[in-house]
Amino acid sequence: MPSLIDLRRRIRSVRNTQQVTKAMKMVSAAKLRRAQDRVLAARPYAAMYRELRARVAAAVAADERLASHPLLVRRPEERILLVFLTADRGLAGAFNTNLIRAAQAFIAAHADKRVELVTIGRKGRDFFRKRQFPIAAEYTGFSQKFDYEDAVSVARFLIEHYAGAQTDAVYLLYNEFKSLISARLTTVRVLPVEPAATVRPVDYIFEQPPARILEGLLPRYVEIAVYQALLESVAAEHAARMTAMDQATNNAGEMIARLTLFMNRVRQASITKELIEVVSGAEALE
Amino acid sequence: MAETFLLEVATPERLWVRVRAREAQIPCRNGYIGVLPGHAALLSELGAGRLTYAGEDSSGSLDISGGWVEILDDHVRVLADEARES
Repeated sequence: MPSLIDLRRRIRSVRNTQQVTKAMKMVSAAKLRRAQDRVLAARPYAAMYRELRARVAAAVAADERLASHPLLVRRPEERILLVFLTADRGLAGAFNTNLIRAAQAFIAAHADKRVELVTIGRKGRDFFRKRQFPIAAEYTGFSQKFDYEDAVSVARFLIEHYAGAQTDAVYLLYNEFKSLISARLTTVRVLPVEPAATVRPVDYIFEQPPARILEGLLPRYVEIAVYQALLESVAAEHAARMTAMDQATNNAGEMIARLTLFMNRVRQASITKELIEVVSGAEALE
Repeated sequence: MAETFLLEVATPERLWVRVRAREAQIPCRNGYIGVLPGHAALLSELGAGRLTYAGEDSSGSLDISGGWVEILDDHVRVLADEARES
């Protein structure tokens, strides 16, 4: 039977862990709120952009030269670039594990193609680097802090890679933030750029040639997609960490309760034992 | 004719302005354009400069640079690359 002192020590250590997990949970909650605000803040521009691009595309639909634009041109998918967003740190439940499993499934599903990775986040990079998987580029530190410029630099790399015909398709794989308890693994293709939704052409006054405006709009499509993915992924990461830490705090609480009960029982047992010794000792004297 | 139009200014990171405006001055690539209600449909690249607007009960200005502006049916969408309160 463990001694009282051992049990007390054990309880104290669990309580310390509980304090740490509780603090992490609260930090994640604050970060999650900020990340959610950013997701919402980015929506108006994305929506305006989609509408604008659809209308510009409708205006230049007749222009055949645009079909051969380096970001629109389609090639048979032989080489694929997979942009893979994970967290930089662990302790976020199954967040990174699920992503890595999904990436492996993606690679297995495209086993007859050449898949290269662009990793965003330390966890995914470490996993695939250890397995000597080809990594075309890696970015880290975005779950701490990133802004639109970071998305632009990633997008620029992807665009150059695609326009230089070094890859035939670019996919993003990330966790989309649905709610606190659920994130959805999402795979989207960002290159070649999807044709815009068809809308009725508007008779604009064009200050610049419409083809030129569309050419300016196309790289923005990739930037927005990457930015969106970063926002969603970071929000999902904080949500996952918050849930995991909440769970850990609860588990620690249960463990403390169980250990305390056990400790009381041990103490009572020793008291009872001593009483019996005293009583039987007294009886023996009579 | 409508007396106001909807003016929206956004950058990739956030929405800056969404007001009913009576007039606006927008820095386009080829110089400023003034927008009043009932403006013809127009599409232009943006230059760098100060966007000013006068709304029904508010007016303001922003320094913006880069991007596009679309004017369509009394709805002015300014998709700027960068913006800052001026």
